[in-house]
Amino acid sequence: MPRPQEKIITFTIDGKEVQAPENAMLVDAAKQGDVEIPVFCYEPKLGNPVGACRMCLVEIEGIGKLQTGCSTPVKDGMVVNTQSERVKEAQRAVVEFLLINHPLDCPVCDKGGECPLQDITFGWGPGISRFVEPKRHFVKPLELSSKIAIDRERCILCYRCVRFSQEISEDYQLVLLERGAHSYVSTFDGHPYEAPFSGNIVELCPVGALTSRPYRFRARPWDIEDAGSVCTLCPSQCNVTLTVRDERVLRVQAREHPEVDDGWLCDRGRFAYPALGGIRPADGTGTVDPGERITEPMIRDGGELRAVSWERALEEAAAGLTRAGERTGALVGGQTTNEEGFLLARTVREGLGSPHIDSRRAGTLGLELHRALNDPRLQARVSDLEFAHAVLVLATDPIEDAPILDLRLRKGARRHGMRIVQATAADLLDAERAGGLVGQLGEAGEEVVILWHERLTAGPDGAASARALLDLAETLSLADTDGAGLLEIPAGTNGRGLREAGVLPNAGPGLSDVADGLDTQGIADGLIAGELSCLYLLGTDPSQDPATDSVWEQAFERASTVIAHAMFLTDGIRAHANVVFPAQAYAEKEGTIVHPDGRIQRLRPAVAHPGATRSEWQVLADLAKLVGIDLEVLTGPMASQQLFDAVPFYEGLTLQEIGGKGVRWQERRQAAAVS
Amino acid sequence: MSEKLLFKDIDEPGLTTLAVYEARGGYESLRKALQMTPEEVLKQLEASNLRGRGGAGFQMGKKVSFLPHGSIEKYLVCNADESEPGTFKDRELMQKNPHMLLEGLIVASYAAGTTRSFIYIRGEYAQQADVLDAALREARAAGYVGEDILGSGHSLSLLVHRGAGAYICGEETGLLDSLEGKRGNPRLKPPFPANQGLYQGPTLINNVETLSTVPSIIRMGGEEYARLGTEQSTGTKLVSVSGHVRRPGNYEIELGVPSREIIYGLAGGPEEGRTVKCWFPGGSSAPVLTADDLDVPYDFESMAKAGSMLGSGAIIVVDDSTSILDVALKTAKFYRHESCGKCTPCREGTNWTVKMLERIDRGEATPMDLEIMASVQEHIIGHCLCVLGDAMAMPIGSMIAKFKGEFEAHMETRRLEAQVPAGASA
Amino acid sequence: MSSSPATSRGWDQPADLEKDPATIPDPATTPVPDALRREIEAHMALYPDTRSAALPALQAAQRVHGWCSPEAIEQAACVMRVTPAELDAVVTFYDMLETEPVGASSVYVCTNISCSLRGADALYDAMREAAGEDAAFNVRAFECLGACDIAPMASVDGVYVGPLSIEDVPRLLEDVRAGRDVLPDKQLVKRACADAGAGSGA
Ligand SMILES: Cc1cc2nc3c(=O)[nH]c(=O)nc-3n(C[C@H](O)[C@H](O)[C@H](O)COP(=O)(O)O)c2cc1C
Ligand code: SF4
Ligand code: FES
Repeated sequence: MPRPQEKIITFTIDGKEVQAPENAMLVDAAKQGDVEIPVFCYEPKLGNPVGACRMCLVEIEGIGKLQTGCSTPVKDGMVVNTQSERVKEAQRAVVEFLLINHPLDCPVCDKGGECPLQDITFGWGPGISRFVEPKRHFVKPLELSSKIAIDRERCILCYRCVRFSQEISEDYQLVLLERGAHSYVSTFDGHPYEAPFSGNIVELCPVGALTSRPYRFRARPWDIEDAGSVCTLCPSQCNVTLTVRDERVLRVQAREHPEVDDGWLCDRGRFAYPALGGIRPADGTGTVDPGERITEPMIRDGGELRAVSWERALEEAAAGLTRAGERTGALVGGQTTNEEGFLLARTVREGLGSPHIDSRRAGTLGLELHRALNDPRLQARVSDLEFAHAVLVLATDPIEDAPILDLRLRKGARRHGMRIVQATAADLLDAERAGGLVGQLGEAGEEVVILWHERLTAGPDGAASARALLDLAETLSLADTDGAGLLEIPAGTNGRGLREAGVLPNAGPGLSDVADGLDTQGIADGLIAGELSCLYLLGTDPSQDPATDSVWEQAFERASTVIAHAMFLTDGIRAHANVVFPAQAYAEKEGTIVHPDGRIQRLRPAVAHPGATRSEWQVLADLAKLVGIDLEVLTGPMASQQLFDAVPFYEGLTLQEIGGKGVRWQERRQAAAVS
Repeated sequence: MSEKLLFKDIDEPGLTTLAVYEARGGYESLRKALQMTPEEVLKQLEASNLRGRGGAGFQMGKKVSFLPHGSIEKYLVCNADESEPGTFKDRELMQKNPHMLLEGLIVASYAAGTTRSFIYIRGEYAQQADVLDAALREARAAGYVGEDILGSGHSLSLLVHRGAGAYICGEETGLLDSLEGKRGNPRLKPPFPANQGLYQGPTLINNVETLSTVPSIIRMGGEEYARLGTEQSTGTKLVSVSGHVRRPGNYEIELGVPSREIIYGLAGGPEEGRTVKCWFPGGSSAPVLTADDLDVPYDFESMAKAGSMLGSGAIIVVDDSTSILDVALKTAKFYRHESCGKCTPCREGTNWTVKMLERIDRGEATPMDLEIMASVQEHIIGHCLCVLGDAMAMPIGSMIAKFKGEFEAHMETRRLEAQVPAGASA
Repeated sequence: MSSSPATSRGWDQPADLEKDPATIPDPATTPVPDALRREIEAHMALYPDTRSAALPALQAAQRVHGWCSPEAIEQAACVMRVTPAELDAVVTFYDMLETEPVGASSVYVCTNISCSLRGADALYDAMREAAGEDAAFNVRAFECLGACDIAPMASVDGVYVGPLSIEDVPRLLEDVRAGRDVLPDKQLVKRACADAGAGSGA
């Protein structure tokens, strides 16, 4: 579907000639001339403007009535005035109206200091109120859900939250009830507002009406700091801003990236943060039980894990590794950074001479298939999900696998009439049904995106499915069509990055040739058969997966050494690890990860490591030395640079280039290197 | 006595049945129109200069011409919400002559190229909706509604949709949201319904009386129709007269007659010994006029010049026995109750105005409050999403301006009354 | 399903965290009377977008349940495949949809300007007093009902009667109680047009 083209026009605002994209709403166009038009209800993320709050009234030459700047598209030659007495009076009037029922309890309001109502009242308000009647009073705050509190006295009825529920997440649980001055935001009959993206309404609310229950009264805006990072809890890799106070992550908010998250966060990403800092959530308000965060290295001693010094733990681990040598198998978890995976692969391959390392749980996929699927011409972007004519959702339920993509699909369907077709792996392998899919997709138009999950390539039919997928892409000419392509949701957050960093049994950095090793299943079998003796776990406990837990139970039993990097003592690690290194949460990490669409993104440490925790790259470098190989990594950025140098299609990349918004390697000039 | 077009046969026994309606020449205009091209029909509508009878007074022909051409599905919605206080003309038309509305609607749909149509009738008009439903069944059976009407190739589906009690659903975009099954909140304009209306499709919305006039225009010819009334307010108009008059009811007048003739001549004026204190010329949303304005001709342009509006054509007469505060309070309370709540100035402004009026009534106000109240009305007018806010602010503003002395006197009396210590009055 | 009393609605009510979120009702656990289901489905079939059937569906549910109770809303939502909140938003917007249990016979007394100029406020008070505690009645003050020609007036289960005097009140209520045609001599539909020049087949 053609994306909107921008034409630049010139208009006049407050006497200044300003250039802006034609048809941009005046409130946005005004910013080009450093003019701020105050808004409450306007939020372009929510779709078409509703013009409800009337805060943005401006004067346009040639039009008698004041117009809402939020809904007036700018045209060439338009003359706009935001400073006339008429406009100012209208703005003062709207603020005065809004404050009629607002309790002005700013000193005890969580929004205080970061509140648009406060700011706009200060900047555009009348300074006094002539309203002398008693204000309305409601019981407050009330629970709206386990995560969100609602203060209806403060609500200014801007419609943002209900529009989100109805038009973005489409859960339609949050509505306005009653009419006129009696209107209020509510759910049906006292049911809680529980939906996968409910937390976004807290950020959308321009006043303190909707607040996060876990965050309530935790901090005031002036004693917090914000740090940008990327959520690693699922492959969506939403960009986030972490609110930090006293080295603790108190809050996670969206950091809008149109090519990643569109400015939204799922509730897991938003509310799981108490676990990140290892803080116990305030009574009953947390969504995750953080358990005890591991903050010191431990070794097994007399059957029990006990805390020891780093030297002791590293020595113990090095001894185990050296003993096992090439009989070591390593598994890497999905939240591991590229650098960590890369350094471990070097240690295992170069230091121990073992080829057995895997980051996939789906079994080995032929290298030629990996390469074909990685063809840069086949890679769709997230925004293609919105503008394509059709999307084939293949072997995945995005709301489970990568929630934020579910919102993007809904947006495409709602706003651009995009067609969504669902299919399973079995459909793809059935010639007739696959033909039907081609028909359905082709009917919608040539821009087709196939959104598929890594599980498609798992199991005995994995390779056949991958081939069928490539055939389908070929039939639909996805490689040659702009805005079309494949988008894989990997099983692990950084599945793509780890693959590209060479954390596969059959591929080195950049999907290069290596001596073949055992994959995850092979490693389990090898341990059980006694062919392998040491298991290295970087951010994973395979016994957590109910599909294979009994196999791993046996494998653990048979392994003579198990070394694990972990944040929490999961059952397998508690029972079997010989050495445990405390691991970092994403908010503590530095390094890079790769988004499913090839965007290399940076993690930046927002808080210090708890206790004795050290960076994984550092632990790996130290350990490598003890097993006889110098990785030559003294800082995190050095590890990144090594990785960039090792992967041909990352060539020339720098952390600076990645910056806060990331960069897709396919879009860099070196894209050709892979083919 | 002026010409009767809408009320020609209004009390004819059995007029609601197809047989009687046809016997009185019914559906002849439809047959005539179907002999013409849609463009020719549109020309007649334009030549008639018929202005909408729902309140805004927009030329009907022009509105039809705004609809995009082409084969996309277009809609025609008849606004039968009639909730403007003082207005009851559509009710009488639907009650007694439903086929005239259907005939006008079918002709309009032919001119506009719309194939789906709805009559949105306020839920309180259950009796009238039943009459319409019965008439529609007959019209359908006779082939006036449905596929290929009278062999013309024009098709039209038609449904009577009942509202459930909300004044704002008379506002055309609120009506559309309500018809789509939502809360009846008005929409931001543009886009106008002619481009994006019902189900996002181009939509023509006209009032019951407007559409009921269409058969007469086709019968007479647009130019002939335009000879009635004044140059800018052509034709005849139903006027609902109520309040302090001796013969309240609907009257069909030729636009441009002196208002006095309607209020006194037709409706009989106030009771013996009473005089007109003020009157709303076009429903309660119109700024009030006084006895001084009784000779203003009753047409769109003269009413505008007099500082008010013809609106829905509903005259509410208030005589000198009534206090202006009571009229203001009733008016303001109505709009507070009916404000949809979507936009700030209307939601908060109507609420605040009622509270101020109540305070005046309790004797707790000062002349300063009257100024604040006037300024609040100014802050509403022209600042809202739809004109419901203005519909309160304009009449209230006009009352404050025209009856300032009475408000002040009222305040003073109430204030003194309130100061009398409890028990002292006994 | 829901058993919470009417009084628990409103803005001072917190969400009950024990409840599940109110998503589109599951037909398996939301029994809907057959006749109601058929009526709603028939309405849905009349519109290009089934959602347009919200008002007719709620009106039908109200006829069955007496008011738009949470249960009534859930049933309508279940048939329409929408969330109950979506319909509750509609219910609470419209004056004729009842959000609390009410008497079966509705008496809407118009108290808007034209009627009040002719004594509607006293009429309304008299009506309320006469109906008293009789649970059969739902006496409400209503905005302009579009019958100012018969002011002051009332709509009794949709039948318009007027002009009413306070003396008419007992007879009106008695007619309803007895299931008779209400005030036959005062029914609007029987009135001739006020316009003397209007035709009746002249
Ligand atoms: C608050 C409000 C209430 C309205 N109520 C009605 C109504 O009940 N009936 C009606 O025909 N028009 C009503 N209108 C006017 C309609 O918006 C619209 O202009 C009209 O239906 C167009 O039809 P017409 O051009 O035939 O007059 C109302 C407008 C507003 C702002
Ligand atoms: S709760 Fe907040 S976001 Fe929702 S309507 Fe009220 S002010 Fe707006
Ligand atoms: S920001 Fe324009 S009306 Fe609210």
